[in-house]
Amino acid sequence: MTDTLHRLLRTPQGMLGLVLLFVLLLACVFGPTLAPYDPDAIDFLGRFAVPGARHILGADQLGRDVFSRLLAGARATVPLALAATLLGAAAGAVIGTLSAYLGGLWDEAIMRTVDAVMAIPGLLLALLLVSTFGGGALNAALAIGIAFAPGMARVTRSVALTARQADYVSAAIARGESGGWIVLREMLPNVAAPVIIEATIRVAFAVMLFSTLSFLGLGAQPPLAEWGLMVSEARPFLHQAPWVIVVPCCAIALTAVSFNLLGDGLRDALNPRDEQ
Amino acid sequence: MTPALSVQGFTLDYTTRHGTRRVLDGVDLVIAPDEVVGLVGESGSGKTSLAWAIMRHLPRNAHEVAGHILLGVTDLRAAGPRAVNALRGRRMGMVFQDPSTALNPTLTIGRQVTEVLTYHRGLSGAAAWHAAVDALRHVHLREAEALMRRYPHQISGGEKQRVVIATAFACQPELIIFDEPTSALDVITGARILALFAELRRQTGVAALYISHDLALVSRVADRVAVLRDGKVVEEAAADTVFRAPHHDYTRRLVDAVPRPERRLVFDAPGEGSLLRAEKIAVRYARRRLFRAAAPPATHDIGFAIRPGEILGVVGESGSGKSSLARALTGLAAFSGGIQFAGRTIAGPRDMDRDYRRAVQIVFQHPDASLNPRQTIGQILSRPLRLYGGDPRSVPALLEQARLPADYARRHPHQLSGGEKQRVAVARAFAARPRLVICDEITAPLDVSVQASIIALLLALREAHDTAYLFITHDLNLVRQIAHRVAVMRAGEMVDLLPTEALSGAATHPYTRELIAATPVPAGT
Amino acid sequence: MSGAWLLRRLFTVVYTMLVVSLLVFAITQVLPADAAVTLLGENATPAALAAVRLRLGLNDPAWRQYVHWLLHLAHGDLGVSMRTGQPVAPTMLTALGRSLLLAGLSLGFMLLIAVPLGVLAALRRGRPIDLLVGLLSYLGVSVPEFVTATLLLIVLADHLQWLPATGYVAPSENLVGSLQHLVLPVLTISLILVAHVSRMVRSETIDILHSDYVRAARLKGLPPRTVLLRHTLRNALLPVITIVALDVGYLLGGIIVVEEIFAIPGIGRELFVAITARDLPTVQAGALIMAGTYAVANTLADIAYALLDPRIRYD
Repeated sequence: MTDTLHRLLRTPQGMLGLVLLFVLLLACVFGPTLAPYDPDAIDFLGRFAVPGARHILGADQLGRDVFSRLLAGARATVPLALAATLLGAAAGAVIGTLSAYLGGLWDEAIMRTVDAVMAIPGLLLALLLVSTFGGGALNAALAIGIAFAPGMARVTRSVALTARQADYVSAAIARGESGGWIVLREMLPNVAAPVIIEATIRVAFAVMLFSTLSFLGLGAQPPLAEWGLMVSEARPFLHQAPWVIVVPCCAIALTAVSFNLLGDGLRDALNPRDEQ
Repeated sequence: MTPALSVQGFTLDYTTRHGTRRVLDGVDLVIAPDEVVGLVGESGSGKTSLAWAIMRHLPRNAHEVAGHILLGVTDLRAAGPRAVNALRGRRMGMVFQDPSTALNPTLTIGRQVTEVLTYHRGLSGAAAWHAAVDALRHVHLREAEALMRRYPHQISGGEKQRVVIATAFACQPELIIFDEPTSALDVITGARILALFAELRRQTGVAALYISHDLALVSRVADRVAVLRDGKVVEEAAADTVFRAPHHDYTRRLVDAVPRPERRLVFDAPGEGSLLRAEKIAVRYARRRLFRAAAPPATHDIGFAIRPGEILGVVGESGSGKSSLARALTGLAAFSGGIQFAGRTIAGPRDMDRDYRRAVQIVFQHPDASLNPRQTIGQILSRPLRLYGGDPRSVPALLEQARLPADYARRHPHQLSGGEKQRVAVARAFAARPRLVICDEITAPLDVSVQASIIALLLALREAHDTAYLFITHDLNLVRQIAHRVAVMRAGEMVDLLPTEALSGAATHPYTRELIAATPVPAGT
Repeated sequence: MSGAWLLRRLFTVVYTMLVVSLLVFAITQVLPADAAVTLLGENATPAALAAVRLRLGLNDPAWRQYVHWLLHLAHGDLGVSMRTGQPVAPTMLTALGRSLLLAGLSLGFMLLIAVPLGVLAALRRGRPIDLLVGLLSYLGVSVPEFVTATLLLIVLADHLQWLPATGYVAPSENLVGSLQHLVLPVLTISLILVAHVSRMVRSETIDILHSDYVRAARLKGLPPRTVLLRHTLRNALLPVITIVALDVGYLLGGIIVVEEIFAIPGIGRELFVAITARDLPTVQAGALIMAGTYAVANTLADIAYALLDPRIRYD
């Protein structure tokens, strides 16, 4: 574990990704303490305050401090994006590994069905699910998790298939190892790494999707300080107070970038071969 | 008379993340016109780098430290990019190792031949087309005109290599570099390509640099042979004297390691009775998918018996079914028929119990793939010990038996060389104290000297444990050194099964005779 | 490329549409505990609820509802919108036309930029231009459409006042005005696609540049331009067809957001309005049309690829 961390820090992407994520983690954990104002505190006199001494990043259309809302938004977005990705990865991993293990006609049938589900664009599937479950942040996360499952199933299956056809698995079969041992001890350590990398990059996508759903009004509901929601609420006031929109936009982008960077860094760090 | 190629004191470095590596060190090499010089070396010797240096195709991290390369009177190192382009294909050509990747899959054969003619000989349209057809006929390709319109994937490996050779000869260059041109082809096709090469050489008098790791083959093809080791030329002599009377220690070791059928390594006779008897083994990879028919069977009814302590060699080309046979015997592929072992009949993988699996072990061809990259050597070796009731603490003993240092137990596979990994694979097979070990082309990807040490290891282990081997290989010379009996497979059938001595006799299948004729025996023997 | 191959592709499309229809139907009509309540709200009168249930056939078992729905679909009857009372099919088809215009312009624009950019980055690997392209595409794939759209709106429409903010003008009415209104939406969609596709093109081109046959072509002494055009690009750009086909799915999702922000009456907007209004028939139709577009795009791409790649054409 520490070995991976060291190798991660040696790559520029890994280093940058970890730094950014650390900042994010601070915002999530200590956000409420660090915030100068209460994120929900309305102040009609201070509406559209320009970024300056009183409000570092200005105030929005209801006089709420943008910086405080930014910090609160981290808490509203990131943990749920992580949860959604975990859900999708877990469901996908089960389907994908099962399909690879069964092989033959079963594998083909499962994969064709997975491909068919993927014909529905991810955002659309999430929208359909959310409209059925009802709006709200938790339901949005659940919908995103379900929408991710087919894609993760595909990735897991292809990795599992490669591992299954490797000679070291054949050696284990020839030894008479049980199916469970082969899957857990021979295949899983080799399957885990690529799946973790893919999942990390997916978190970036989950953040983007989650904020999009909130922007469209079907994710986090007001008065939550979710970044996508902040953008959509401030849209009518684009002209008067662009900073209210720009700040959460940058936050979303930076969060997605940091997970992408971490994923890329992990790709190098988790590859056992580069250690000549 | 000006030599066709003159390399003087050439030194080349590569800079990597871990520092600078000297790949070629003061190499001197001269090729006279109408002479073929063989360049022999093991992996890492630098022979391929020399080829790239001559063709002026070095990677960005390569630094030419010193020396000259002269093609005729032209200084190649001083030539600018445009001059180099004019030289390539016109005055010097190259034939590559793998013909299936050397041809552009989306262009017709005709296009790939005419483009050299168009660019270098200024021919165009119909003239170029006719010249290309002539070039293809010259390398004995049938239906040359139809071939012009085909794509690479529609012709065989041997035909593709002839196309590549035709392209190289098309502009009548002064020098052609051959980079292991037959190693990706099966033995019989390879022999035909070599015959073609000899014929073309007689006709055109082109100078050639023939690069290979196969000393036996090179000595048959070249006039003179240069031996390269770690970037230095350690010996240079006429082809037949290199084998008969090598000077340098390294050359001597290399020559010793080359398998020669008359140099027998196994002198005892196998035990009585049958250890394992296979009856009518047929393997079918029946992958029935939607709208697709099942593939033809990999092996038809194969039957044979192995005696205790016997070494049974199995030779054949790729697709002959020898690997499928190995997979059937170890329960990796479904099969029909039966295996008689220790008084039991085994009709399928499900019948193989712990005793059978313990007694019959397998070592695979590619050591990178057969060892789990995420486990340590110690974990890899202790598993079979645990499984078959051995003592997990005897891992160091196993490593010692395989001539590996004890601290390798803590290492991961990627930290070992190819030969070392293969030793671990062998040690893993022997951890179970098997009665029969199936070796599926285990030395094919290795250098010849590493191969010799692995064979020595196998023979030593056989002495100690009285194990039998089913030794699968495509190298007939190797199998004649160690096997008691040899089985010859072709297209899923076992066409011959004879004692090794009988192979040179007359009572052999025509295919076996063809195989023996195609296998190169080193010159001077 | 044989008859069997085509048959297999056709089967795939049919199967895909069947699974999609099942999934969409299940999510929209079967899953909600009582679709009638979901449609009309909790305070609707029992009579109104009963009427809706009858109209939508909600009293039948699920499978029968599904079969009825499929049969209607087979006749081209997409139902009647619960929100407007108008037949769904004509509205959706007109909307689809507008979205296809938007999508087509976006794809075209994207290809014009992404392909040369990707090839350039591959040819100048490790040099400043490659790093710059890499950086920009990194940012591009990390930014959701609504962020790009909003930022573009702020800069180009509001601040600089170069372009109109929202709205749609049909090309038949006013070509220039139409294009003006389409610039921002097209830019929004294209930016993200450019980021993704240029990365793929770059990595494909690098792989081909290192292939044995490109090396062989170079060592035959062919001029660099011939090597690039005839040998490298010909093989590197073939997979672009597949990449673009896969991105169509992503594009369709993005269209929902973009049409909503820029008030373009395309299929994405219709779908979104229908989803928020719980207009079941429109939602079902819209989802099917989107999935169908994706399936058709992929099949066309497969056929194009098969025609262009001799390894598949002459199999």
